[in-house]
Amino acid sequence: MIRIAADLILRAFVVLTGVALATFALLWHAPGDPALSIAEARYGTVVSKEVLDFIRAEAGFDTGFWTAFWAWLSPLLAGDFGQSSVTGRAVWPDLMTAMSYTLPLALVSLAIGLAISVPLALIATRRPGSWMDRGAVALASVGVAIPAFWLGLLLILLFAVQLGWLPAMGADTRAHAVLPALTLALGVAASLTRIIRSGILEARTQVFLPAFRRRGIPPRNIARDHVAPHAAIPVITVLGLELAFLLEGLVVVEVIFARPGLGSFLVNAIYARDFPKVQAVVLLAAVIFVIVNLAIDLIYRSLDPRMDGRNA
Amino acid sequence: MRSVVILVVVFALLMVFGPMLAPYDPTAINIPKRLQPPGGEWLLGTDALGRDILSRLLHGARWSLGLAFVVSFLGLMVGTCVGLIAAQGGRFADWIAMRTTDTFLAFPELIAAVVIAGILGAGTGTLVFALAVTGWMRYARVARGIGLSLATKGYVVQARLAGMHPLAIARWHYLPSLLPSLTVVWTGMFARAILGISALGFLGFGVQPPLPEWGTMLLDARIHMRSTPLQMIWPGIAVVVSVLAINLAGDALRDVLAEQESP
Amino acid sequence: MLRVEKVSVRRGAATTLQDVSLTLAAGRTLAVVGESGAGKSTLINAILGLAQCAAGHVTWNDAPVTHCRPALVMQEPRAAFNPRQTLRRSVMEPVVAQRAPTNPDGLRMLCDGLEIELDLLDRRPSEVSIGQAQRMGILRALIAAPPLMLFDEPLSALDAVTQKHTARLIAQMQERIGFAALIVTHDLGYAAAFADDIAVLRAGRIEEFGPAQAFVTAPQTDYGRKLRDAAFALGALERVA
Repeated sequence: MIRIAADLILRAFVVLTGVALATFALLWHAPGDPALSIAEARYGTVVSKEVLDFIRAEAGFDTGFWTAFWAWLSPLLAGDFGQSSVTGRAVWPDLMTAMSYTLPLALVSLAIGLAISVPLALIATRRPGSWMDRGAVALASVGVAIPAFWLGLLLILLFAVQLGWLPAMGADTRAHAVLPALTLALGVAASLTRIIRSGILEARTQVFLPAFRRRGIPPRNIARDHVAPHAAIPVITVLGLELAFLLEGLVVVEVIFARPGLGSFLVNAIYARDFPKVQAVVLLAAVIFVIVNLAIDLIYRSLDPRMDGRNA
Repeated sequence: MRSVVILVVVFALLMVFGPMLAPYDPTAINIPKRLQPPGGEWLLGTDALGRDILSRLLHGARWSLGLAFVVSFLGLMVGTCVGLIAAQGGRFADWIAMRTTDTFLAFPELIAAVVIAGILGAGTGTLVFALAVTGWMRYARVARGIGLSLATKGYVVQARLAGMHPLAIARWHYLPSLLPSLTVVWTGMFARAILGISALGFLGFGVQPPLPEWGTMLLDARIHMRSTPLQMIWPGIAVVVSVLAINLAGDALRDVLAEQESP
Repeated sequence: MLRVEKVSVRRGAATTLQDVSLTLAAGRTLAVVGESGAGKSTLINAILGLAQCAAGHVTWNDAPVTHCRPALVMQEPRAAFNPRQTLRRSVMEPVVAQRAPTNPDGLRMLCDGLEIELDLLDRRPSEVSIGQAQRMGILRALIAAPPLMLFDEPLSALDAVTQKHTARLIAQMQERIGFAALIVTHDLGYAAAFADDIAVLRAGRIEEFGPAQAFVTAPQTDYGRKLRDAAFALGALERVA
């Protein structure tokens, strides 16, 4: 187990290095002169060639890719995310403020998604093939096909514009969070319903279940002790994908509902070509994502000992 | 199954012949007739610049579906190559290929695409690059998994002993066995690419106006949500119906293959 | 001359072959017998270069053995053929891969010798019997005229009648073409009847290695004697001894 954990942590390290390299390569190849955009952001006027050269030397642009990469990476490793190239404010506090809007929204959406999908999957699998089951599958299939941004717009149209029940833009009150959370939760619920449903159906095909039934073990206990744990394994394996799905939804949903979370932070930073902010979001998200996936991997391996090293 | 095939054929025909069915020029601006309601002269109404929405939707199929096809196909090529290198190239090549795959998977694909397209500058070329670069990893994993199980098959061992070139082994012994599963993955990635293209279009990083792409149309329509809400409905329905059709086709294909596996 | 010199193979922490040394002269037949799990398949993999040797080396005429492109006849006859391709295509694979000159007469001669009807070549593996598939496997191994042939339990998937027939065909082809044959088998009767030499493999080590006749009449180790007596009891050795 320790060997496996060490191997996974080594992998996570390699992956994060790769992400950092890819991010820097992307910034390195961004069109336009980065020194010029920094100078414009800093001084707001046209600057002389000497100033540009100074900025180039300061940022390490003139030293070649690998030296510049190291010059770029070392403050990041020390936890220094630098200043916004547009406003000059430190990136980290703003990032944390944005995070404080995003994290609760993500958790609430996930909770609502689970609260919808688990009962729906249980009702659907009570009698597979019945109209209830087909209805749930159809609903879930449509649900995964709806892009989050369109669903968000539809909800705004219905609840904010037509009915006027809920606010659409901003994040001032709790009511502002209802529509974004609903948008994300419906998407999560749709894909989770499909996965949990097929997980339960798969778990019911285990060969030893009829024997338990003949022996007179109550169906409720069989479901709790033998079907549920088996059905949980596929759900856990896709949790990483589900998280990715949620984060992808968050970006557009925050933009649509004008919430000042990480998604808006990222998109606005890209619009403004504020690269220190962009790289901060990317690296932070990658670290979180890799750690979460590492945890999922470890849980999965402890649940299913059949996993072998090479087929991970 | 049959209904799904029909649906897919209808979509393919729409992609090829849709623009010919369009009653108007999708980019012809007609300010006096802006924001017309559906019905009458303009079947689905006009947008903020007086362009016919139906014509834009029909032309948009080429962008939204056509680019998604290109993106998912590029991903298929890259991913299959990486997966086969991992499966055939020995432990070291396998490790490198799989850690590269992990690196690209270490980030939600759509967000990575937004960052790449955003930083490199909006445009159709960067859109395709951004989505293809973030969309090959699933193919690689599937190709590697099946490839590893094929490596111990008698006929692959025989081919290696005979001195057959690794590329020839890949072409004749690996690819035919990989294709069914890769096609199933491809349908999923095709659907994702449609969603990705429209999402990037909606955020302004995708196909640029005045080209009619469904996500970009939604971005335009959003501003006039209060006055002409229906304008926002049509492109959304186009996206949902295409994604649904492709997902159903993928499900059906997977069921057919599962039946063939266990007769 | 095939030389296996002090070959050891490890799999993880376990040692599956330990200091195995064998020789096989051109045109001769060596049978390696042993129970399942003794390391017979590992020995074949080590000779073919499919398994890494932790120590020792395998040579053919003092060059690495893979240079002579040894051919393998497998235990599962149909598994050796891609189910999607015609048998002809698979059979000709070594010729195509090694860019050897195609010789229709050679193919006809081999098919004659192995009693394969030529039109069977255009079928797929699932459309021929197991016995036919195994003869196809031998044909494919012979097609590029390798000096060394390895047989991994070549008869064990076949029924009794087909076993005898196939064993006879292998011997006839060897007489006609003159390849060296290393046959791995658990069937001591087959080994004694067709091999010049016999090696007994037990738990990854060579227990005994010598002329077949000498082994059948007077095994030198207890384990060898036990193997021989068990084969006698089954009636497998009667026609030889």
